[in-house]
Formats: sequence, C-alpha cells, structure tokens
Amino acid sequence: MNPEVLEGFAVILVPVIAGILSLKEHRLSSIAASGIEVLISIAIFFSGDTSGIFYINHVSKVFIIMVASVYLLSTIYSMEYLEKDTWLRHSYYFLLFNFFTASMMFALTINNYGLMWVGIEATTISSAILIMTEKTEISTEATWRYILIVSAGVTFAFISIILIYYNFGTLDVSTILSMAPGDSLILRLIISISLVGFGTKVGIFPVHTWLPDAHSESPAPVSAMFSGVLLPTALYVVYTIYRIDEFHELYIWAGTVSVVFASIFLGAQRKYKRMFAYSTMENMSIALLGFATGSAVGIAGALLLLVAHSFGKASAFYSSGNVLKSYGEKDIDRVTGVIRAMPVTGSSLLMSSLAVTGTPPFGTFFGEFLVLYAVYSGGYIIQFILLAIFIPVAFISVNYNVTRMAFGHESKKIEQKNGMPYIALAPAVISLAIGIGFLVVTYALV
Amino acid sequence: MIGNSVVYLISAAIAISAFYIQGQEYMRSLVRGQLIQSLIIAAASFLLAYYERSMDLLILGILLIVLRGILVTYFLLRQIPRRRSYLYERNVSVPALLLVDLVFVVIATFLVYSLAFSKIVPHSVLQNSSVLLFPLILFFQGLFLITSRRGTITQVVGYVEEENALILFGLFLLPVPIIIEASVFLDVLALVVISTVVTQEKDRHEPVEELKG
Repeated sequence: MNPEVLEGFAVILVPVIAGILSLKEHRLSSIAASGIEVLISIAIFFSGDTSGIFYINHVSKVFIIMVASVYLLSTIYSMEYLEKDTWLRHSYYFLLFNFFTASMMFALTINNYGLMWVGIEATTISSAILIMTEKTEISTEATWRYILIVSAGVTFAFISIILIYYNFGTLDVSTILSMAPGDSLILRLIISISLVGFGTKVGIFPVHTWLPDAHSESPAPVSAMFSGVLLPTALYVVYTIYRIDEFHELYIWAGTVSVVFASIFLGAQRKYKRMFAYSTMENMSIALLGFATGSAVGIAGALLLLVAHSFGKASAFYSSGNVLKSYGEKDIDRVTGVIRAMPVTGSSLLMSSLAVTGTPPFGTFFGEFLVLYAVYSGGYIIQFILLAIFIPVAFISVNYNVTRMAFGHESKKIEQKNGMPYIALAPAVISLAIGIGFLVVTYALV
Repeated sequence: MIGNSVVYLISAAIAISAFYIQGQEYMRSLVRGQLIQSLIIAAASFLLAYYERSMDLLILGILLIVLRGILVTYFLLRQIPRRRSYLYERNVSVPALLLVDLVFVVIATFLVYSLAFSKIVPHSVLQNSSVLLFPLILFFQGLFLITSRRGTITQVVGYVEEENALILFGLFLLPVPIIIEASVFLDVLALVVISTVVTQEKDRHEPVEELKG
C-alpha cells in the first residue's frame, strides 16, 4: 500500500477510533486525535496526488487541512465551553463530534460520487443531535428543520448521482473527470440537480433556510464546525460534480443571486449568531462564484477565501459563545461594551468580524478580490456590478452590528474561563496571518 | 410485453399508495401506508430482477423488505405511544389538502418530466421514458407531505417516500451499485432513529418566533 492511500485511510479512521474511545475517555482521545489529524493533513498536503480508492488532489488537500485545523480548535474549545450537565452527555457529544469529522474527511477523499453522497448524508446524521447538546425547545426545532430540509435536499441530489452512473457507467471521480462528456442534456441535468441538492447543504439561496436556525441554536464549537468546514465540504462535492461539465452561466448566476440575498438578510438580523450564519452564506456564495468561473485565479481566490474564512468564522462563533455565556443574551441590541467587559473576547469578536467580511489585510480580502477579478475578467459584467454593490452592504451590516456590541457603556469586568478568550482569538490571528503571508509571498514572487 | 404491463401496473399501485398516504390523518395508517408502498417497490424490484436476471435487484428487493418494510416501520410505530394509539394530525383539512396535492403533483410532474426526463431512455428492459413518471409522482408527493403537515412522524413518512422515489428512479433507469443502495438504506434508517429522539421531545413543528428572519 502506497503512503498516499495509507494517509487517506488514516485521516478517516483516526477520528472514528477517537469517537469510539470517547465513550471511555473523551478528553484525551479527542484532543490526541485532533492533533494527530492535523499532522496527517499536513503529511497529505506534502504528498503526491492519488486517484485509486481515494481521490486527493491539490484542491482537496486544502480542504483536508482546513477541516483538521478547525476540528482541533473546536475540540479544544469544546472542553472549555461545555457545561458539566448538558442534556447530551460529554462522551456522546465527542463520539458524534469525531464521527462528524470522519464523515467530512470521507466525503473529501473518496474516489466515488455515490460514496461522496453517503459521506455528506453521514455528516447530517452525525451532527444533527449535536445541535441539541444544550436541549431547549428552540434547539429541538432547529435540529428537526436541519434534518428535514438538508435530508430532503441531499435526497434530491441523489438523482444527479443516478444520472452520472447512467451517463458514464461508473461513479469513479477520477475516471469520469478524465472521460469525454456525453449527452449534453443529461450533463446539464446532473450539474443543475447537484447545485440544488447539495446546494442545500452549502446554504445557497433559496435552499439555505436551515442554516441560520442550526447555526444559532448549536453550541459555539458546533456552529464553528458547521460554518467553517461543513459547508465548504459540501461545496467541494458541488465543485467536483461541476467539473464534469462546467455550466458557467447557471453557477455564476446562482452564486450572485445568493450573495445578493445573503446581504439583504444580513441587514435585517437582530441576533448575532444568526447574523454570522448569513455571513457564511455570503462567503460560500462568493467561493462558489470563484469555482464557477473555472479560471485558475477564480479557483485560487475561492480556496484562499475558504481557508481564511474557516478560521475567521471559527473565531466569530467562539467569540459569540463567550459573549452568550457571559451576557446570556442572543440579541445584538442587548449586548454592549464587550471590549471593556472582556478585552480579549471583545478583540477576537472585532477581529473575526473584520476577517469574515473581507477586510484588508485578512486572507478573505485577497480571496474575494481574486474571485471578483475572475468574474470581471470572465466577462460577467452584470454579476460583477451586483457583487460590487452587495458585498459592501454585507460588510457594513456585520461590522456596524459588531461595533455596537464591542463598544458601549458596559463597564464591569466579566470573568471568563481561562482558556476560552484566547482560543477564540487564535483563529482570527491565523486568518490575519494567512492574508499577510499571501501578501508577502505575492510580493516576493512579483 | 406482459412483463412491461405488470411493471406499469405495479408502478400505478405505488402512485396510488402515495395518494393514500396523503389522505390519512391517523399516524398508524400513515406508517402502514409507507409499509405497503415499500413492499410494492420491493415487488417491482423482484420482477425486474427476474426479467433482467440480476442478483443486485434481488438483493435490493430483500433490503427494501428488511430495512424499510420491517425496521423503518418498527421504529416509526414505536414513536406512537401505546396510550395514544389513535394519535392523529390535528388542524388538517385532509380533503382540501388532497385536492391541492393532486394539482401540485400533476403540474410539477408534467413540467419536470417534459422538460428534463422525457428524452432519457432507461437502460432496463422497460426502454420507455414514460415509466420515469412514477418516481417523479412519488417524489413530489413526498415533498408535499413534508411541507403540508406539522407532525414529526408524518414528515418522516414524507421523507421516506422521497427516498422510495429515488429507489424507484434508479430501479427503472439504471440501478446504482448495490453497496451505494445499501448505504442509502442505512442512511434513512439512521435518520428515522434520530427522529425518534426528536419525537420524544417535540411531536409537532409550528413556526417559532425565535427562528424567524
């Protein structure tokens, strides 16, 4: 067995084993597994591409690193965040959390469209109960909406899998991508159905409705996993199917319309976690646009955006978790003076807000810039104009609200658990470092 | 030729079972309707297995009976408390909904079939795209059941109907490898089991103020 295949097995099995061991000792097994997972993902990044049992290429390697990193951060944050007496016992929480990661890794690495579908469906099964960790009537309702809407959407996506098999006689990703496309009507059907079906999981308008509910009611580390890596994993599957026959017009319009609506929804939000959820919808739509252009610049921009966003959004949700724990309020209007009350959390909240809205010099800024450049140079002028109007609208909506939360009249200091503020700050700093690193590398190359 | 007619006859029975489910108010009847539908699809699978001499289709039929017919039905029935065995969907006007459902399903199926699927020729012995009308009817029917009702069990049955539509679609067009079909079955089973947890906490789903916007 060559090392690439071994790494492919390892990246899936490590969280599975950790999940099983969590039933006995959840802290040690989960922390160790997430650390090992980061190391394996780095090894995969520096190994060659493979296309046997697993299909790992330069794009999926970036996603694997992303999932492993947010998995590690969220595992550490979960240890601090979870109350002692949650409805879902900690051992079961980590069992599902680890299985959730394994199913994402499975979808990202497997060389079979049918099994990719199974991986995406498995993410729903493993993550649904996590939303109910701190069970309330509202979180139960959010869980149900998540299960039903996402499962119905992904079920619809299975029609595209059947059509792929019908058209090519195989479901091997690498084989299909190396074949000449066949009947164009069927290919268009495959691409369109997969956009609507898997798009439900990505949070593309109008099939995004589960997204704000699940994000706002989940515990903060689960929201971070959803926003930072689950949606990008589903986007990777959409992109892999899209590569069979690039139907540019449909995808570029879908991405643009989704950015427009996400920006409009963002302006109307009263709860900060829901606001960050809509911000994820906006970022995923921009990344979809980058992939949809099909150009190297667009794809590079989408990848840069996704990586920087995953850290930025993890920070945003961890900060939200800290604020929620301390203030006990979900409404933006009822939270004020976070910077004075909790200086580190306030800073991470501000930094993460700037990160997820594409402020320079965060990595998301350069990612968005490259995607917009690819859209413009691809000749999609109307879409470019719409994006140039609505991306700033989203920027203003999020930063205005977060600024109101961060500054204000709250003067008393609020005590927090030692590690939580710093764990929240770390990913925002990484998102910033990604942008600066990109700038330095580009400067050196030019 | 006779084989084809039998497949069409079975498919018509599947469509009727879908409308039967939509017409039910009582949870037990809904779940039993789902059981009957799964068994009829299993019969279609056995029939095609016979005509195409396919072991995969035979296994598919067995999986349908064991996983969907027996296990899914068992888990769904367990969600109906013994003391409330006549549990039914409240505030639902079944005749009106059935009428709306009929209009929706006919229009949606006609549009989707004529725009997208009418030119696709199945690889199976059927060789006629019109057979794809039946999985489409079932799919839209499942979708309508989910959106028109508030009860957890009813919505799960709607979801199972959608999955049945997929099985039927694959069965008529070109069955995907059995390992993937089996995974689909297990996925559904897992979701039904998860729904048990949700049903224990909340058996109806109304709009919630906190989740608006």
